[in-house]
Amino acid sequence: MSANPVRALSRLTGAGGLGRPALLSAVSVILLGLLAPSWSVATLILIYAMAALGCNLLLGYTGLLSVGQSVYFGLGGYLAAITATRWGLQLSSALIVSAVLCAVVAAFIGAFAIRRLGIYFVMITFAFAETAHFLAFVFQDYTGGENGLGGVPAASFGGFGQSFFIAKPGPTFFYMAAVLFVLLFVVLQRFVDSPVGAVLVAIRENESRAEAMGYSIKAYKLLVFMVSGAVTGIAGCLYVFFVGSASVAAIESDMAITIVIITVLGGIRSLYGSFLGAVVYVALDTYLSDLWPYWQMLLGIALIGIVLFFKGGIHGVVLAFFNLVRHLLSRRSSDPADHPNEGASVDVSR
Amino acid sequence: MSAVDVTYEAPVILAAESLSKWFGSFGALDSVDLSVTRGSLHAVIGPNGAGKTTLFNVLTGQLRPSSGRVLFNGEPIEKLPVHRRAHLGMARSFQITSAYPELPVRENVRLAAQAVDCKVRRSVLRAAGHYEEPLAVTRDVLQKSGLSGFAETQAGNLSHGLSRRLEIAMALASRPQLLLLDEPLSGMGVDDIAGMEKFLRSLVPEHTVLLVEHNMPVTLAIADRITVLESGKVLTEGSPREVADNAQVREAYLGRGHV
Amino acid sequence: MSSDLLLAQLINGVGTGLIYFLLAVGLTLIFGVRDFVNFAHGAFFVLGALLSWTLLEHGMSFWIALVVAPLVIGLAGFVMEPLLIRRFYNVDPAFQIVGTIGLTLVIQEVATMIWGPANRSTQPPKSLQGLVDLGVVSYPTYRLFIMGVAVVVGIALWWLIERSRFGASLRAGAEDRDMASCLGVNTGMLFAITFAIGVGLAALGGVLAAPTRGLNTGSSSEVLGIAFVIIVVGGMGSFLGAFVGALVIGVAQSLTITFAPAYGSVVIYIAMIVVLLVKSDGLFGKVTRVR
Repeated sequence: MSANPVRALSRLTGAGGLGRPALLSAVSVILLGLLAPSWSVATLILIYAMAALGCNLLLGYTGLLSVGQSVYFGLGGYLAAITATRWGLQLSSALIVSAVLCAVVAAFIGAFAIRRLGIYFVMITFAFAETAHFLAFVFQDYTGGENGLGGVPAASFGGFGQSFFIAKPGPTFFYMAAVLFVLLFVVLQRFVDSPVGAVLVAIRENESRAEAMGYSIKAYKLLVFMVSGAVTGIAGCLYVFFVGSASVAAIESDMAITIVIITVLGGIRSLYGSFLGAVVYVALDTYLSDLWPYWQMLLGIALIGIVLFFKGGIHGVVLAFFNLVRHLLSRRSSDPADHPNEGASVDVSR
Repeated sequence: MSAVDVTYEAPVILAAESLSKWFGSFGALDSVDLSVTRGSLHAVIGPNGAGKTTLFNVLTGQLRPSSGRVLFNGEPIEKLPVHRRAHLGMARSFQITSAYPELPVRENVRLAAQAVDCKVRRSVLRAAGHYEEPLAVTRDVLQKSGLSGFAETQAGNLSHGLSRRLEIAMALASRPQLLLLDEPLSGMGVDDIAGMEKFLRSLVPEHTVLLVEHNMPVTLAIADRITVLESGKVLTEGSPREVADNAQVREAYLGRGHV
Repeated sequence: MSSDLLLAQLINGVGTGLIYFLLAVGLTLIFGVRDFVNFAHGAFFVLGALLSWTLLEHGMSFWIALVVAPLVIGLAGFVMEPLLIRRFYNVDPAFQIVGTIGLTLVIQEVATMIWGPANRSTQPPKSLQGLVDLGVVSYPTYRLFIMGVAVVVGIALWWLIERSRFGASLRAGAEDRDMASCLGVNTGMLFAITFAIGVGLAALGGVLAAPTRGLNTGSSSEVLGIAFVIIVVGGMGSFLGAFVGALVIGVAQSLTITFAPAYGSVVIYIAMIVVLLVKSDGLFGKVTRVR
């Protein structure tokens, strides 16, 4: 392509470019680091956001509801603990192991689930979540059963037997998680903006049309299922390094429901929604639960409200608010050219 | 890999041999034979309940026949999964517009063009807009369909007539040899029909067109050959003139006593 | 392994299956009529149990509570349907699930506010305590009672759906809403009643189950899992499917607990996966709804 720097810059910063998601996620993590009341809250938010990103790829972009993401969150965690304690693997390798193995497991589960539609798909993901929970007890030697696996060493980066960066829980871990999050966010945004991402949306909106056009529905669904598993697995891996131990709670179906709640709460039509959902959920869980033990009721009401009225979740509400402000501001100016059509133009790259 | 990679150009591009389809004890199709010549515009008509939709669904792969074969360029395809057909060179449109209403017209067509581009449709490394080939095909198709001026319009905001054109444009985007059109004129108003007639006629002989239709005057005007179905069987087949003069056809449509 | 023991376990399995049927039939009824996936179903089961506990604590007789609690919950459902549930019908199934998860959270928290988080269990009435000698094996009277209730309810429901005018309207409404409405069926009332019956049945299951095990406000997800497995196995929307599916799952679980107790809780999910492999819409799936 042309070496024109102006064109390159506009490609970078325009829709589909890497500039916007990089900027958005970078600014978000910086603000998070500055405003969050503790490093551990901030880190937890990032971890949950990553888990929700995996769920969002399936639900928001492909229209598939998986209440079984706990399989990968838990598996990624167990893999982290096992590889770190038994083989002394560093975080970078643990992440890769988690991602790859979770993708493989997702392929297996996906082979069962993908062929069904609607509620049957959901139930299969749920059934496998319960089965995975059960298996965690069957393989107690590896998972530590009820007690889990403790003694996970601090996350380190390096190679060839050397570690040149150690991230202990605290600011260094957060910085590391932040970098990881930005990378993941940019990569996934590119995935969503890519031709494959466009096909996923086409499948969600009208599966038979997509099929008639020539897309193999099964292949694409399986692909996104595997990517989603890998991403949630990465989140689970990071979580175990963060907490220092792997527990069976991560692989319970309640975790899967929590991930779905975060995903929907934040907004399923945009990747950034997953970040927002994590922020709100962790904030509520950390602060509201002390004040009012029945805070989950608010969560329930929020979910009902989102499903019925604000399908775009928190992200949708924020976006609508900004659009409203923009609309009002431009009405103030003498230019009557503001068309009601404005909000309707669709950015495919979202 | 484009769809027009054909080395064997048979004169009969699509053939149905003794196609039958049973739903329980109901015979929707009974030993239907069909032969579509390359480069022609072939219409399938018949009164309600004649089996046109069933035949169409078997030809496009939505249904498997109970017996019989469907041959595309001589190759049996009746068991071929739906998503493989666009790659062979068969593309279909839908009777009820199935474009993506929230996407612009350009993106609708681009998605269809991308589907048969093996390199692009697997790509996760670049944004969709980066790839020039599907965009070029899109521009070309939009121009041929008369939709260039509406490229950025949301498909859901198109008038009915234009959305029927979009249906066909999406089928064209896969560069097919054969277009299977399901009631392309359905619901169209008088103003749009003339334009659509011209558009459909412009598709041959570069493509072959098989269409199912209810609109008799237009079908008689544009078709090269017409197959008439009644109660799941082929009543007759011939040129428009032959079919129009056929007493049995009139009887099938209007009932006895009207001939 | 003696055949007596095997027989006892089979009876147990059938008994469990019948209780599961009671759980699941309300869910499949609601789905069959309106394609509505009610993930809050388990919450109504728990509500029924907790309400019966309160009634019994206040001195009400078991027999009266058995009728009153489900009626109250059913009434609540009857009111809830037009106010809230109706709005979910046109929503994507995935969203229906998420929305009803939200509803479950709300119900759970309200229940915890009222009853607290502790386990509650009740006692079966004196007349139903003890064992019955079936010749081959002695079986708890109360469990036989539950089985009896389930059978009676099953027959009553079957009669209601297949033989009564209400059932005819119901099946018509399930087939073609608009047409039924044109024919004079008050579809709004129909759906409200159906939902009321559905959650009332769930509550009945809760009332009956309360004496056999402790229940707390967190039990709803366990119950929900079982109910959904059954209707998926049986075929969503199929009445017969709920019955057969429940028996299959009940027996499978009972036998598994005998031979491999550790797998007792997971076998239902494995069974579901296996059934779906063989028949992708469940045993009686896709036949019709509400049959």
